[in-house]
Amino acid sequence: IISEKDIHDILDELEMGLLESDVAFSVTEEILSHIKSDLSGSKRKIGTSVDSIVRSALADALLGVLGEGVDIVSYIKEHDRPVKILFTGVNGTGKTTSIAKVAKFLQNNGFSVVLGAGDTFRAGAIEQIDVHGQRLGIKVIQHQEGSDPTAVLFDTVEYARAHQIDVVLGDTAGRFHNRANLMNQLAKIRRVIKPDLIVYVDEAVAGNDAVIRAEEFSKSVGIDAVMLTKVDMDPKGGAAISIAHAVGKPLLFIGTGQAYEDVMAFNPSAVVADLLGDA
Amino acid sequence: MLDNLGSNLKDALRKLAGKTVIDRAAVEDLVKDLQRALLQADVNVKQVMQLSQTIKKRALDEQPPKGVTAREHVLRIVYDELVLLVGKTVEITLGKQIILMAGLQGSGKTTTTAKLARFFKRKGMRVAVICADTFRPGAYTQIKTLCDRIQVPCYGNPAEQDARKIVRDGLASLKDEVIIVDTQGRHALEDDLITEIIDLNEITRATHRWLVLDAALGQQAREQARRFHDAVNIDGVIITKMDGTAKGGGALSAVAETGSGIVFIGQGETIEDLEWFDPSSYISRLLGM
Ligand SMILES: Nc1nc2c(ncn2[C@@H]2O[C@H](COP(=O)(O)OP(=O)(O)OP(=O)(O)O)[C@@H](O)[C@H]2O)c(=O)[nH]1
Ligand SMILES: Nc1nc2c(ncn2[C@@H]2O[C@H](COP(=O)(O)OP(=O)(O)OP(=O)(O)O)[C@@H](O)[C@H]2O)c(=O)[nH]1
Ligand SMILES: [K+]
Ligand SMILES: [Mg+2]
Ligand SMILES: [Mg+2]
Repeated sequence: IISEKDIHDILDELEMGLLESDVAFSVTEEILSHIKSDLSGSKRKIGTSVDSIVRSALADALLGVLGEGVDIVSYIKEHDRPVKILFTGVNGTGKTTSIAKVAKFLQNNGFSVVLGAGDTFRAGAIEQIDVHGQRLGIKVIQHQEGSDPTAVLFDTVEYARAHQIDVVLGDTAGRFHNRANLMNQLAKIRRVIKPDLIVYVDEAVAGNDAVIRAEEFSKSVGIDAVMLTKVDMDPKGGAAISIAHAVGKPLLFIGTGQAYEDVMAFNPSAVVADLLGDA
Repeated sequence: MLDNLGSNLKDALRKLAGKTVIDRAAVEDLVKDLQRALLQADVNVKQVMQLSQTIKKRALDEQPPKGVTAREHVLRIVYDELVLLVGKTVEITLGKQIILMAGLQGSGKTTTTAKLARFFKRKGMRVAVICADTFRPGAYTQIKTLCDRIQVPCYGNPAEQDARKIVRDGLASLKDEVIIVDTQGRHALEDDLITEIIDLNEITRATHRWLVLDAALGQQAREQARRFHDAVNIDGVIITKMDGTAKGGGALSAVAETGSGIVFIGQGETIEDLEWFDPSSYISRLLGM
């Protein structure tokens, strides 16, 4: 029989490991306390160490949190065209760059794409997505700086309908979840555009705040899938756990650099293996 | 920043109030609460463990001076140790200077460059900006648009690929007192880009090299800061996006790692949203002293 004391030391060590990989404090505590109560008093098979039992319980718990990921190609094939995908998140996480990467990925998979320059607020934002569109040979629907983002994205969807484009990727300005007016603007975009998927973009280097902002975005505008960027800066996928735990939605892609090719399907078991060392 | 710290420590400090001898259990509670608050604020795990061990040891080993209560004694020790984390005051001089902006992708360098330009301009200085970001699409339009809003000249050339050349040419043509060089985002593992910023530092002979960090940055902050510091000797940290819900503890770890201090705090997306930072009054407020 495994006692609470048996697992105490190993859990302490695992806790440090998770915190050092940026799994948020609250999430770490919750996952480990579940494991503790599940395992205390359970029976141990002859020949298995407490260490390996705890590690495999943790690996299972983390895999459970991360879920399976989404296969975007089959998602698009199964839905009516145009499939409308809206990208949201706080400032500077990599939304616009991710849109360019996903656009290229979809092109490579035989889909036609149009981009909507829905960030009409930040200086240089329209120029930024326009350059990506030019480089990729993809049409970018844009209005002037300061114009209504809903109108831009509406026009983007209309363009896709008129030209039989498969996928609309809509950019939005970065914003903080504690700014009600900006969140209302997103809610309006959502009401008018009715996106098929709202992709929430956050970065691997984010710490505890990843949980708070994911929860708030999830509550106020909804999240269907997550894209985790800047994994090249921080290969430890703690933020993936934090966000998935907070919103309970699958990860779509990870971003691993600034080039169009730096995008990968999300692989939950690789993330967990990294988090737990070689467990 | 760290704003949950004060309230987290209140209960533990209350247990020490009115006592003349230090109560071990109360100190242990205090250290636990402190750890929890710092970890939730993204201070580096190893630094948190180190700092809390030091506080515990000092609180239990050092005798309070005569007439100082247990509570005051422990509070003073916590204060001393937090000063190390929050860093020293970075004085802003109003002389001729070149400021090199450095930081991870998307941390807020370009926005902060414009904020700083406005800050110095309002102090009566002649200010100019150089756009040394030759990589990010729209980078020049972004900084040029912001500079136009505050009527500050912006040197750049979106067609040029070589940031070193732009900076050399810009320095040769600009005669302003304060020159701020905006650079492209980079991280510690990008060797070519680390070499580039070392070169830009040499070309500019920058007076300051300020590291711009997002308030939400987690455990990577310390290692990233170490690498930037090794490369160009960071002498100040700017924490951006403090208007969200992030606590800025990662950036504090960077401050401790570079032995520098916080120069400014970014509090919003518009050019006015910049605050100068005074560490000691900040900690006193935090601890309710
Ligand atoms: N290293 C690295 N950099 C990335 C990645 N994704 C994006 N970036 C960079 O991060 C910076 C910000 O990216 P953007 O795409 O402009 O971010 P955003 O979320 O659209 O920003 P706002 O619209 O201002 O909120 C740029 O310098 C990008 O090149 C990534 O996966 N790895
Ligand atoms: N809310 C808020 N947003 C900020 C602040 N500082 C910067 N931003 C936003 O953060 C995003 C990234 O800012 P940039 O100035 O483009 O960042 P950067 O470091 O120059 O990015 P790269 O050049 O791509 O590395 C933009 O959306 C900015 O508007 C701040 O203090 N508060
Ligand atoms: K991480
Ligand atoms: Mg953007
Ligand atoms: Mg920039």
